[in-house]
Amino acid sequence: MSGRRPTDSGLRLEIDRIACDAYGTCAELLPEGIDLDEWGYPVIAPGNVPVHLVDLARRAVDACPVLALRLVKAASAAAPAPQPGPVLAPRPDRTEGTPPWPVRPPSRTPKRRPDPLRQR
Amino acid sequence: MTARVLGGPAPAAGAESLAGHRSRLGDLPGRTERSRIIPMLESSGLLGRGGAGFPVGRKWGSVAGRSGGDAVMLANGAEGEPLSHKDRVLMASRPHLVIDGLELAAEAVGARRAVLYVGSEHAQARAALERALDERDASRSQSLPRVPITIAAPPVSYVAGEESAAVHFVNAGDARPTTVPPRPYEKGVGGKPTLVQNVESLAQAALIARYGDDWYREAGRAETPGTALVTVTGGARPGVVEIDLGTTIGELAEWAGVPAAAGSPVLLGGYFGGLVAGMDAWRLPLDPAVLRRSGTAFGAGVVAFMGDETCGVTTTARIMDYMAGSSAAQCGPCVFGLRAIADAAARIATGQARQDDLARLRGWSQSLAGRGACRLPDGTTGLLASSLRVYEADWTSHQHHRRCLVRHGMARASA
Repeated sequence: MSGRRPTDSGLRLEIDRIACDAYGTCAELLPEGIDLDEWGYPVIAPGNVPVHLVDLARRAVDACPVLALRLVKAASAAAPAPQPGPVLAPRPDRTEGTPPWPVRPPSRTPKRRPDPLRQR
Repeated sequence: MTARVLGGPAPAAGAESLAGHRSRLGDLPGRTERSRIIPMLESSGLLGRGGAGFPVGRKWGSVAGRSGGDAVMLANGAEGEPLSHKDRVLMASRPHLVIDGLELAAEAVGARRAVLYVGSEHAQARAALERALDERDASRSQSLPRVPITIAAPPVSYVAGEESAAVHFVNAGDARPTTVPPRPYEKGVGGKPTLVQNVESLAQAALIARYGDDWYREAGRAETPGTALVTVTGGARPGVVEIDLGTTIGELAEWAGVPAAAGSPVLLGGYFGGLVAGMDAWRLPLDPAVLRRSGTAFGAGVVAFMGDETCGVTTTARIMDYMAGSSAAQCGPCVFGLRAIADAAARIATGQARQDDLARLRGWSQSLAGRGACRLPDGTTGLLASSLRVYEADWTSHQHHRRCLVRHGMARASA
């Protein structure tokens, strides 16, 4: 990763956690910004999507079979968010410095992976 | 210990009657004064008592601002936190104060209907509220405009108290959280803006309406003003008590007759909270703002003294299992993550640790927060992370030597 900060698009990726079914398409289309955990569920890189990845992010959004991925304006988190549960201690892995979006051109051609176990 | 919402007859004496309630506190003030309740709540500094500690005045304001006179008011008495009893004690002993707060809030946000959302296992609380509603029906002298009030009784469940779950239950009979946004204050019961407010917050608001924000701020010894109900366990006198916010953990220990050595671990906030230990921790004021800065939380006011005779690993494993079982089974990271945590913790606790169990627990304690529709993964992993810190020697001994420090009579290294 270079030290240069990619241009911020003001958009961020948001997952509907209930709808998400671990198809993994998003991580395949946007490996720069989405990782999969050991159970196949997406982990989104913190911060906003950099401008040069917005098109790919949109493709990932469109490709989600259960429409669980959204690209939203980053400011929409400002509303009051009363929820049970205390604010927890900061998570060192997620709170430091610039977002770890790698500055590299999109290189992968998205390919669809048929998964017979996931057919409905 | 300052009795405000629990002022008057002892809570153990049961529900206060409408006559008793009125002769002690009088009715809510008149319409002109009531119309100023939202700014009054804001300047009082009252924070929500359901766990998140969100400012009550702002919450009411955000619903009032978008309701157009057609909102819904929901009093949250689900109290699914296993260590907390304060809401059910309050509902069972001061039903009229809770309903005062509910009607006050309903008027302030422009609600056309109100719901008392009471955990189905809290039988006494429900009975007291039902009786109180009957009493109020029979007596017409209340000055407030009457709003229809119904009681909803969600099944026993940890997540049923989450506000989107409460709305979901009233709408569809399903007490599981939904994806937010939209949040209840935007689109809640029947699609209308809905104010979901914990029952203690409502009772506090009903007192602020009578006595004012200056009065409210007279209590409180640290940063956050007012009093709060806390549930204390682990001492000779466990129970629910109203404290001045800012009372220290050590003072509460003394009050509750805690036999454990000062500095022994304390679970704050409940299963959604965190463990602290050491003399510095015992000097911490029970104050939401201070606790938050210290990396822990006031939560719903649970203070559980663990003592030195308890194996923190075993206790944590039990809590993790409870939380995994509490998952509404909707979000993958919660379903799989909490179960994996519970299983690894159980193996470590029972001397069957696999080589990398502890390392994996450490990883999961950092990687699951923020990855569910509700905050169950956040709360669970927050508690786990605090346990890994406070009971580090115990976890290590269990993992690497299959040895319980408590059972082998070895001194726990106090932080």
